Order: sequence, then C-alpha cells, then structure tokens
Amino acid sequence: MSSDEVLVAGVAQARRRRVGATALKIYTMEVILLALVAALVATAPGFATLGNLLNVLRTVSMLGVIAFGMTAVIISGEIDLSVGAGVALAGCIVAWFSGELTPLIGSVAAVTLGVLAAMLVGAACGVFTGKMRQWFRVPTFITTLALFTALRGFANLITGGFPLTDLPDWFSFLGAGNLFGAPFPVFVFLAVFVVMQLLMKFTSFGRAVYAVGGNAEASRLSGIDVFGVKTATLVITGVLTAVTGTMIASQIGSGTGTTATGMELDVIAAVIIGGTSLFGGKGRVWGTLLGVLFLGCISNGMTLLNVEEYWQYVARGAIILGAVLLNQVLEDV
Amino acid sequence: MTRGSIDLAGISRSYGPTLALAPFTHSFAPGRIHALMGKNGSGKSTLVKVLAGAVAPSAGELRIGGEPVRFASPADAFRAGIVTVHQELSLVPSLSVGENIFLGRLPQRRLLGRNVVDWRRVYQQSETLLHEMGLDIDPRQRLGSLSVGRQQVIEIVKAMSFNPAILLLDEPTSALASREVALLFALLRRLRARGVTMIYITHRMNELFEVADTCTVLRDGHATGTIEMQDATPAGIVEMMFGDVARAVRPPRRVIERDHSVLQVRGLSRGDAFSDVSFDLYRGEILGFAGLLGAGRTEVLRAIFGADKLDAGSIVLDGESVKSADPRGMKRRGLGYTPENRKEVGLVQSLSVHDNLCLANLDRIAQHGVVTRAREAPFVARQIGGLGIKVPNAMLPVASLSGGNQQKIVIGNWLNTQPKVMFFDEPSRGIDVQAKQQVFDIMWRETARGLSAIFVSSELEELLEVADRILVMRHGRIVTEVMPDRVSLAELYRVCIEGA
Repeated sequence: MSSDEVLVAGVAQARRRRVGATALKIYTMEVILLALVAALVATAPGFATLGNLLNVLRTVSMLGVIAFGMTAVIISGEIDLSVGAGVALAGCIVAWFSGELTPLIGSVAAVTLGVLAAMLVGAACGVFTGKMRQWFRVPTFITTLALFTALRGFANLITGGFPLTDLPDWFSFLGAGNLFGAPFPVFVFLAVFVVMQLLMKFTSFGRAVYAVGGNAEASRLSGIDVFGVKTATLVITGVLTAVTGTMIASQIGSGTGTTATGMELDVIAAVIIGGTSLFGGKGRVWGTLLGVLFLGCISNGMTLLNVEEYWQYVARGAIILGAVLLNQVLEDV
Repeated sequence: MTRGSIDLAGISRSYGPTLALAPFTHSFAPGRIHALMGKNGSGKSTLVKVLAGAVAPSAGELRIGGEPVRFASPADAFRAGIVTVHQELSLVPSLSVGENIFLGRLPQRRLLGRNVVDWRRVYQQSETLLHEMGLDIDPRQRLGSLSVGRQQVIEIVKAMSFNPAILLLDEPTSALASREVALLFALLRRLRARGVTMIYITHRMNELFEVADTCTVLRDGHATGTIEMQDATPAGIVEMMFGDVARAVRPPRRVIERDHSVLQVRGLSRGDAFSDVSFDLYRGEILGFAGLLGAGRTEVLRAIFGADKLDAGSIVLDGESVKSADPRGMKRRGLGYTPENRKEVGLVQSLSVHDNLCLANLDRIAQHGVVTRAREAPFVARQIGGLGIKVPNAMLPVASLSGGNQQKIVIGNWLNTQPKVMFFDEPSRGIDVQAKQQVFDIMWRETARGLSAIFVSSELEELLEVADRILVMRHGRIVTEVMPDRVSLAELYRVCIEGA
C-alpha cells in the first residue's frame, strides 16, 4: 500500500470506531433530558400536567432567549456576564418610557419607544464590550463584569430604587399572556431559536463565528473580520437581553432594578450543559435549547418534590459540573 | 580521569522500520565545542536525544567520562552530568533572574520553626554564578525585562549552576540578534576554558567557524564525517551536508516577461525586522526568498499581506496603490498567504476539511449572507480534486489529516479566492517528500495559469528547484538577486551567510 492508501484506510477505520461514540456524543443530551422527564413524570406529583409544563416553558423562555445569543458569544471565544443586569436595566427603561411618555403619545407608542431604546442600549453595550476587546485588549470577562455592576446601578438610578409600575394593562400580555393556549414568551423563545439556528448554520456570519472561536489568528489571516464577528455576537446578545427584560417587566408588572439577579450564571450554565465549549469554536444552538429545558425541568422537579431551596442550589452546581465533565470525557472517546 | 568525554560505539536508533540514526561510532573529546550539522531529519536531533536520555538507543554502547551508561530517562543523564539547553526557553519571564536560576530548588532557611525561602542566599549565589560567567546582570531584575539574548544566556547560567561536565545546546542562537550571539559565544568560550564539553547544534555555518572546534555532519541518519574546524571550509561542509543533490523533474523554465509587474514593493521597513526592502514580482513568476532563519523573509510577507504593521514603504498590487494593508483588504485585492506555521495559524483545527477549504472564501460563496453546504460543495470538490487531497470524507476534522494534506488544504482555501498573487511561506516544512513534490507541482501549474507567487523556504535546494528567480535576504535586507540556473548550492548558501 502506498502511504496515501494507508492513510485512507486508517482514517476509515478510525471513522468506523468513531461512529458509535459519535452517536453517543451527539445524542447524549437528548437521552439525559428524556430520562429526566421520564423520572419526573414518574415521581414528581403534578409534573405531567399541562398547566405545570406550560409554566416550566414560560420560565425557561425568559432565560432561553438570551441563552441563544450567549451560545454565539461563547462559540466565538468570548463571554458576557452582564445579561442579568441588562435584563433589569431594560425593564426599567421600558417602564420609565411608559410612565413618562404615555400621557404625551399614548401607551403603545411609549412602550414601543421604550423597547427600542432598551434594545439600543443592549446593542450599545455589545459594541462597547467588543471595542474594549479590540482596541485595549480588555477581556470580555472583565468589561462585562464591570457592566454587570454598572448596568444594575443605572437601572436603580432610573427607578430611584422603587419599582416603576406605570405600565398599561395590555403590556402584561407580553410576559404573562397566552396565545393559542400557550404562554406568549414561548413563541418568542421558539422564534429566536429558529433565527439563531439558521444564522449559525446557514450564513457566512455563523460560519465565521465558529472559525473565529476555533482559531482567531487563522481566521484573521484568512481575511475574516475577527473583532467584527465577536462584536456582532455581543450585540445580538445585548438586543436579546432587552427582549427578555421587556417580557420579565411585563410578567411582574414593573421595572425593578433588582430583577434577574444571577440570571447570567443560569444562562451560561444552560449553554454549557448544552455542550458548547467555553474555549470557543464548538457548540450548537440546538444543544442550548436542550440545556435550557433541562435546567427548567430540574428546578421545577425539585420544587415539586419539595427539595429544600438550599439543596437545589447544591444540586444545580453539581449538574453544571457534571455536564462539563461529561463533555470532556466524551471528547476523549 | 576523562571527565566530560563522550564515546559512542555503534549507537543507532530506529522507529519501527525507519532508521533515524544509523550505527554511529565516534568519540567527542572533553573540554571542546563540538558542532553538529545536518538538514532537518538528518538524525542530529535523535543523536542529541540519545545523549540527553530522552530516547534510548536501539543498539550500541554509550560511555560518559569513560563509564558505560544506560539512560532510562533524562534524569539519569542529568545525574551523569549532562545538561541540555533547549531551543525554547524554559524560564518564567515574570520572576526574577535569581529565582529562575534556582526555580524548584530555592535555598531555604528556618524562621519561627518553619522553612522559608532564603532570598539573600538566592541572590548571593546567583550573583556569584553570574560573575563567574563574566556577566553583569542584576539577579533581582525581572527576567522578562531582559532581551531574548540575555534570557538565553540566563538559561545557560541556570544549566551551569548544576555544574555539568557536558552541555547539550540545541540551536541556542536561533532567536538571537547578532550582537547577542557575540555575548553567548563569549560565555561558551569561558565554559570551554573551564573544561566543559559542549555539543552544539546549529544551522548557521558562520557560527561554526567562530566557536566550534570540530564539526560532525549527519545526512539521512548517517554520519558523513567529522572535521576539525581549522581544516574546514564552508564548501566542504556543504558538500558533506547535501552530497550529490538529485534535482527533481521540473517543467522547463519559462521566460518571465519583465514588463508586467504584478506586485511592486518599494522601501518597506519595520523596526528591527527589515529595512528598505524593494522588489518587483512579475506575472506568472515564482520568486524565491532565500535567507537564514531570522533574516526577515516571513516578516516582509506578513507585512505586505497586512498581518503586521509597516513603518514605511509603498505597495502597489496589480496597478492599485495600497494605502494601508490589512488581510481582509488584501484578500479582496487578490492576494493570498499561506503561513509558515500551518498547524497554529493556517487552519482551524476544530473544524472540518470542508469548512477549512471555505474559510477565506465565505463572502464569495455566500449569497446575501446565506451559505449552505450545497453551495460550498463545488468549492470544496474543486480543491480536493485539483490538489489531490486524500480524504475519505470532507466532513472529517482537518486535524485527522497528514501534514502534506493539511498543507494542501491551506493552499486550496486560498486558491478558492482566485488570487492574482500568492505567498507560500515554508509550504514544504514538515511534510514528506512525495507531498512536497505535489505542492511544487501545484505551484508550477498555478503560475503557468497566470498566478504570481513568492516562495519562502529554508531548504535552499528547493528554492533552486522551484523558483524562477531568487532574492537573498540577510539581517532584514535584500542583499542580492540570483538566477537558479546560474548559481550553485554552495554559492547560494555562502551568500545567505556572508552576503553578496
């Protein structure tokens, strides 16, 4: 055999060996999620009721919308710690616009302007973080850690420390309402999922995100605008943060500087559980969908099973670590 | 007493069926500097690894200081008084010079019943060592604040703190500027005066004549001879290194029309890297860049491609004056660049063959930003077929391929952009002979179709074989232009070392 034939044979053999492992690798999360659901149906009282499942979906939709953006950020090799604070700020901006402008231009225009303003602020935070990275080589971990504190401060400055409740009645539909019998946020969640899935799989931008996260220097030498791509993922996440902020303000009926505390960690956890590598270059939007559902089911299940709240924290910690370990182990198979 | 002598009797090493080092018998006399010369893959690294205890010889006997030894690990060699200084620095830049010298074995003292680091002794002992070596370096200084040359010297001081009888030096000058090399050589001469035996691997001919006492040449795993430097000539050593070079079949040399300049470069300069570089690349030409490691060839290419900044100079590509170069803009203007370290920056190892072949070309493949596998497929198939890339399935990770196939993917990625000019930076490094020939065939074929190429290689035979014209760089400047059929290998080698 020539060296090429040896190579081809070797690769083919390795491939056959890999098929079994690959199937396991690709569908691990699906299997685990199904097992979890089955276990909860069997043991948790009231889990399998329509009302409860819709409730789980409504809850996970809030963080899930952001998680799809975060998936792109993490695949590109960056991180965004500011999304929880961003959600609070967005809610406060919307409520402030509603309160200040409704008497002048009516509630629909006021809320619309507020949502657009919140999205603009979210996008601006993404641009800011990206430019700090590009111009001053400040890691996104640091810039978004700073924003994590600062955005919450801005949110409280807007509200003066008290919830802003000047919201029109119809506004509650966005977070708490139902459409065709399902919570409205679930439709937003699914729409964002479809868009992000298409964006990451079928556009040159999506391909560039994987390339940039896999090897920034090789991507740069291939003429890809590395920082442009990274910044774009942060902008997307900033806008999606505003979407979630609006829905949460709607759900609780106010803009409050203290909402969504710690949400950034749940979002990142969902992405990681979904198999996306924190080192960048690898990950799937679909995996994040599973990760989001998994986290939601676990929380709901533990509550139904009357697990003490503090134990729930411990359990979630163990699950995040377990997911990463599992991915590492499968990586080596 | 023969402290520091090295005697090899029939030492050989094979990896499976491959003979890396044929049975080698030789005695290295103590207290001298012995140079080892040879091309990549000639077996000199294997020989050094055997001496350092990193690999065991397949056969033969090794005697150190007259005593037969059998090293199971580098630690055994270390105990026998052999210390290796590697090409890459193994120091911590953020720590002080003294701390680096005693890293992992800092002198201790008792304080309140506990062992604590005795900083006074760390710095006193380092200072003594540095003085003995004739160096005026403050051991309290942060290592990272020293020049690379001085860091390399500290590496050797650290090695000497173990008081070895034998020092193995693996290309210690490869990253150094010439005045730093002088500092290093002064240190080596001082060590020789103290009776230390040194085995010195280098690619630089001029260094041999400056510091070495003897030179042993290896070629394809066989020692072709050892020569006392006082009797040696550069031509003689080149002859020992290369033997009779059989040139591969190449298409007849074309006459390059010098009336159509595709790339005009004038007065390019950047800091210490290169200065006043001017040349023309003509349509359909393969222009070779010769020079030693660190001569500035890669730096010039990267600067033209816009990967690094320029201090001064002008670039005209295909009649269009380039104001400021960046990879994205140069790609759009029709320039491609395959980097020298393909594993690190030529490919995205986490992606498939398919994705890597589309990397530079996503904008061209996409319609309104939309890319599908189906739309990419013809681009992938064209390169896999055209370049003869051996891969059973394009969706396999690129990391699973051989070096030669990976190199072809880097090239294919760029050919997909339909470039007018391509820079091939060390495209033959680390790939087998057959793959090398295929890469050269690709270069000949594409230039026959109108591509213009710059070809950088550290293997001078390759430049003579492949290029239509060769520019020689030395210390960041172009020193001369030669035509491959009018210059011998030895002459080209001499020009690279000494200048025109």
